Amino acid sequence: MTVIGWALAAACVLAGLGVLAAVGAPGRVRPAFVGWATAGIGVAGSVAGLAALRGETFQARLPGLLPLAGVQFDLDPLGGWFVAVSGGVLAAAAVYGVGYASHGHGPDARGVQAALPMFAVTVLLVPAAGSVSTLLVLWELMALTSLLLVLAEHRQRSAVAEAGWWYAALTHVGFVAILLGLVLYATSAGGGSFADLRAAHLSPGLRGGVFVLVLVGFGSKAGLVPLHVWLPRAHAEAPAPVSAMLSAAMVNLGAYGVIRLGFDLLGGGARWWWLLVLGLGAVSALYGILQAAVAADLKRLLAYSTVENMGLVFLGLGAAGIFAASHATTLAALALSAALLHVLNHAGFKALLFTAAGSVLRATGTRDLDALGGLRSRMPVTTALFAIGALGAVALPPGNGFGSEWLLLQSLVHARPTGGMVAAVAMPVAVAVVALTAGLAVATFVKALGVGFFARPRSDAADTADEAPLTMLVPMSLLALCCALLALVPAALGRTLSRAVTAATHAPADVVGGGISLQLAGIASTVSPLLIAVLLGATVAGVAAMVRLMTARVVRRRGAALWDCGAGQPTARMQYTATSFAQPLQRVFDDVLAPETDIDVTPHAASQYLVAQVAYRARVSDRVEHALYDPVLAAARRVGRLGPVLANGSVHRYLGYGFFGVTGLLLVLAVTR
Amino acid sequence: MTDISYPQFLDLAAGVLLLTAIGVLWRHQLAPMIRLLGLQGVALAAIVAILGIHEHKLELILVAIGLGVLRAGVLPWLTWRALGDSPAETRETRPVVNVSASLLAAAALTFLAYVVTRPLVALAPSPATSVLPVAVAVVLIGFFALVTRRRAVAQVVGFLLLDNGITATAFLAAAGVPLIVELGVSFDLLLVVLVLQVLTTRMRAVFGSSDLDELRGLHD
Amino acid sequence: MTHTLSLLVPVAAPLAAAGLYAAAGWRRSTAWMGVVTTALLLADAAGLARTVLREGPIQTAGGLLRADALSAWMLLAIAAVALLVCWASPAYLAAARTEARRARWYGILMHLFIAAMATAVLAGNLGVLWVAIEATTIFTAFLVGHHRTRTALEAAWKYVVICSAAIAIAFLGLVLLYYAARHAGLDSDRALDWISLTGHAHQLDPAVTRIAAGLAVVGFGAKAGLVPLHAWLPDAHSQAPAPVSALMSGVLLSVAFYAVLRVKAIADPTVGPAYLRTVLLILALATLALAAVLLIGQQDYKRMLAYSSMEHMGLIALAAAVGSRVAIAALLLHIAGHGVAKTVAFLSAGQILHHYATTQITGVRALATRLPVLAGLFGLALLALFGFPPAATFASELGIVRASFASGLGWAVAAAIVLVVVAFAALAAHGARMLLGPAADSATVGAGDRSGAVALSGAIPLIVGLAVVTALGISLGPLDGLLHAAAAIVGAP
Repeated sequence: MTVIGWALAAACVLAGLGVLAAVGAPGRVRPAFVGWATAGIGVAGSVAGLAALRGETFQARLPGLLPLAGVQFDLDPLGGWFVAVSGGVLAAAAVYGVGYASHGHGPDARGVQAALPMFAVTVLLVPAAGSVSTLLVLWELMALTSLLLVLAEHRQRSAVAEAGWWYAALTHVGFVAILLGLVLYATSAGGGSFADLRAAHLSPGLRGGVFVLVLVGFGSKAGLVPLHVWLPRAHAEAPAPVSAMLSAAMVNLGAYGVIRLGFDLLGGGARWWWLLVLGLGAVSALYGILQAAVAADLKRLLAYSTVENMGLVFLGLGAAGIFAASHATTLAALALSAALLHVLNHAGFKALLFTAAGSVLRATGTRDLDALGGLRSRMPVTTALFAIGALGAVALPPGNGFGSEWLLLQSLVHARPTGGMVAAVAMPVAVAVVALTAGLAVATFVKALGVGFFARPRSDAADTADEAPLTMLVPMSLLALCCALLALVPAALGRTLSRAVTAATHAPADVVGGGISLQLAGIASTVSPLLIAVLLGATVAGVAAMVRLMTARVVRRRGAALWDCGAGQPTARMQYTATSFAQPLQRVFDDVLAPETDIDVTPHAASQYLVAQVAYRARVSDRVEHALYDPVLAAARRVGRLGPVLANGSVHRYLGYGFFGVTGLLLVLAVTR
Repeated sequence: MTDISYPQFLDLAAGVLLLTAIGVLWRHQLAPMIRLLGLQGVALAAIVAILGIHEHKLELILVAIGLGVLRAGVLPWLTWRALGDSPAETRETRPVVNVSASLLAAAALTFLAYVVTRPLVALAPSPATSVLPVAVAVVLIGFFALVTRRRAVAQVVGFLLLDNGITATAFLAAAGVPLIVELGVSFDLLLVVLVLQVLTTRMRAVFGSSDLDELRGLHD
Repeated sequence: MTHTLSLLVPVAAPLAAAGLYAAAGWRRSTAWMGVVTTALLLADAAGLARTVLREGPIQTAGGLLRADALSAWMLLAIAAVALLVCWASPAYLAAARTEARRARWYGILMHLFIAAMATAVLAGNLGVLWVAIEATTIFTAFLVGHHRTRTALEAAWKYVVICSAAIAIAFLGLVLLYYAARHAGLDSDRALDWISLTGHAHQLDPAVTRIAAGLAVVGFGAKAGLVPLHAWLPDAHSQAPAPVSALMSGVLLSVAFYAVLRVKAIADPTVGPAYLRTVLLILALATLALAAVLLIGQQDYKRMLAYSSMEHMGLIALAAAVGSRVAIAALLLHIAGHGVAKTVAFLSAGQILHHYATTQITGVRALATRLPVLAGLFGLALLALFGFPPAATFASELGIVRASFASGLGWAVAAAIVLVVVAFAALAAHGARMLLGPAADSATVGAGDRSGAVALSGAIPLIVGLAVVTALGISLGPLDGLLHAAAAIVGAP
């Protein structure tokens, strides 16, 4: 058996052991056993993924499993990329989870712990699926186990159950879309394995229908607008290690699905497919970062940032598809490489950000940015790690998001106007969108870092925070190290990336290369993140040294005046809050965000003109949810009110249904032949 | 019995079958309904006996006697027992569909029965099968009575009408069903009526009356 | 000789148990008799399965009792569900503090019910099949009315009247089929025999068979919970004691649908498959739509489970409409998986009722905090009913979808799946309201709220049931050959 086979088998065995440990082990050691087993699964997954990326392939058939269908695995470099990414994230988050849960703050219930290794193994196996049935069964298993994980803290907060319901409902809708699309494809192709699907010849209408269905399904998992409403809820209410796994490992599989179906199995497709993908990606990116910019809940902010980043990934996929349809293969490979690299970068910094947010939550008990602050002195390591993650999220050098966004922009900028009018308009618009999201991202993460960690604590909880334990800090530091490496030398991944891209597009694609600088084949563009980082570091160090030098001689004398007219020590209430920091953005984007304000004036009992109390509430809710989902739910409730009419208890009505049924049948039989 | 009068006797018995069914729709009071049911049982037994005599089959005549005992004797008696003692109970109140509409519906259902049974008659034309539409009409009228009666006992009468019609169809079409099936069916029918009788008595004890509009507690 | 014995045991063993209860009453010593007889039934069913796979169909009593692969599969399902139910019954009756007389009747009627179902699936003659199914209505009438409350009596009345009317319509259909068969030349003791009917199917008159098959499908379908005579289902399943609801929802509906499958196997060669395909499609989609609509505003959790059964029977009817071998195999797997999962769901609902003394969904709150084991079992049963892997319902629903697309009925199954999603959302919302949430948040505390751990003996049959559903969903193992042989009997190639 090959390396991949051994690694995947080890992952399955560890999953079984993890489930047994979850059911059997006593409460105090349970999280430790399960966490280390899951970490082992993650490591096994990374090994398998890296082996696949080196060129090994793996195929296995298990016809006895899954009655009436059978299970088939087929791992190629494209799948290996996602397996490796997921494996790394799972390993780090699982070790982090051991620390998170065993300090009295976290999900240690049997059911939740049993779901964790199963979730990990299904996330690893989805990219390895080799047939329609296998993909579907693993997808649903992943949905089930992640649902149980999201519901972990339902005993503590009532919002968790609601988040779980939204997640379950939308995941199921997505699954139905994928099911219909893939089964339609498999029926027309005459077989369910991916090899059959690849070799099939379908009519353009059918292929378009399959692609749209699959896009809806996989897009909902990746959080594309308008199917994203589960994401902020679920990722905010889940425990921090679970949020990290969901945001950094699970949502990537939405992108995987679209790449596998669109590029590999359907073989490229028409231009309008990829314009749709581009459009949806652009809208998601903009909407996501806007909502993140005005969010005051730290985890909700990070969840919307996931929506934005997945939007950027889909934007890259759309661009790659448009280039592929116009036979600009170099640019297509470049855009696809950008998308895949962004998946990796996002996984790195988002996992880091969520784990840091989790340690903040554990230490202070709150996720509200308006109640945090001043954590730099009390939790220095967490602050530094969050800063590294935030740097990656803003996509500026020396952060690791810069590499992939630079690649994406290069591919969009160098687009030739051969793709028709719509494509010619779309590319510059896409560039503008990317630029705008980058700007908004800077604002968002400056807010998150500045308001959350710097200045003074805004509440007692923040004042009494303690640094996270070592079991939580070590995996976070490892993630930060990965982010730093990705930021400084992204070109090292060039060969691996091109193998993954070739597996998807079946066209040679050696576009990214170089040592300390990113060099692109066929395009005269280079950038060296390492040099930029060194230069920036030198500049910052130099400026800091000069400032220190110049102010060292100045003697600072402080006197306290009796009545100092506000020149005294600033208090915590004088700082920007997260809401106020985001106010200018909220005003600019008023039409898109539609913030709601409620002012309740309670007059005195004695007279209407005397005011006893004024309550002011402002919130920015998800506008897409209001516009799209609320009417649907209201219509469903109205339909549900038919219930008492249809089943009102009258035996006459019940028998009447039968009478009309039978006479109707007889009438139809008499009239027709 | 000569071959000329056999169809006439058959038609007569079938006519009584149909008229009793329509009579049940017409009457308001429960006691006359049960009497009409008994009369229908006699007509049904007569049909089977006429068929038996015509085809010179002893077992059909024996089956006719058994049917007569069951459908004209035992079942109406059980239904009578379910009536209870109070006089208020013996009247069918405010029918769901009023009498004129019921009779119109009965006419429409008879017409439907004639249209529906055309292929049945066409398969094996004979004096027996030409009376099939009447039997199917009794089935449909029995179902209609089952749907529209308000009193529990009246619903039982409707159900028995339905079943008489089906038995008539069975004998007119193919001289009955195999004996073991006929025995099983009769036994099942007896048990059903027993169950319904017990439930009616319990209903009267718990709800105070056997008006089916009292049964509205279970709903969505 | 052994064939006769193995065909008579499934009928005789439950009858003997009923006789024992009639003679000796329900006592500590006799309470476990049910487990013994149903275990015997399960063993016999397994033996029958092996025999029919090796030797083909076997029969006795001149063709009145017959077993082929389809009967063996159904008998296995009946036996499995009956075993779980009889295992859980003593604990249920003890917790409900049932008096000895009522418990005795419960025991007698329960086993007569099981015997009737076993006769129905082993019947070689359509008339015997009909008699057995009518008998199930009679025996369950007083089981539904077991609790002697107003609502139980009301449910029992509606159940008996609607089901008897439906079965009478089905009998009319069988009478017409007998007429057609006699006219085709079969003599009277062969004219309702299933093997003879399928053998001479091409000689039956199509017009008469059309009417007969339509009436039979509507009549038996009503007993299976299909529209239009479905309205007895939520009332009966919500008022009956939980083990009885489990048995009814779990296997009685499937046995009634088994009768539809047998009729379909006769009608399809005679009138063409398109006729019953259309009828079953209309019934299936209407049932699914009705179940989805009525689940949205549901307030009673036992009625909720009953409507979920209607939804699953709608899916089964859809699979029957497709009619190919793959579809029928998926249908049979769904019968097995849904049967056991619904049993676990109803049995745990019964325990919830004992703890909370109310069947209202709003009356049950934060179950996962108060009674974690029971909440876990109920939640897992709900997840199995939603069709999540590794439950067998995922494999069967996937099979139904694939078979429908392969036969060109993709649009119908897409509509069905959308309705299933609506039902899923409604059921998930109700389930979440009952199971999840902080304990202090609960507005109402049930009158009988006794927070105590669920007795382990009460939980074991449920755990076994969930294990069976999971095992079936992972791999069929030795049952694979039986499933495909059974599907080949009524499925079109």
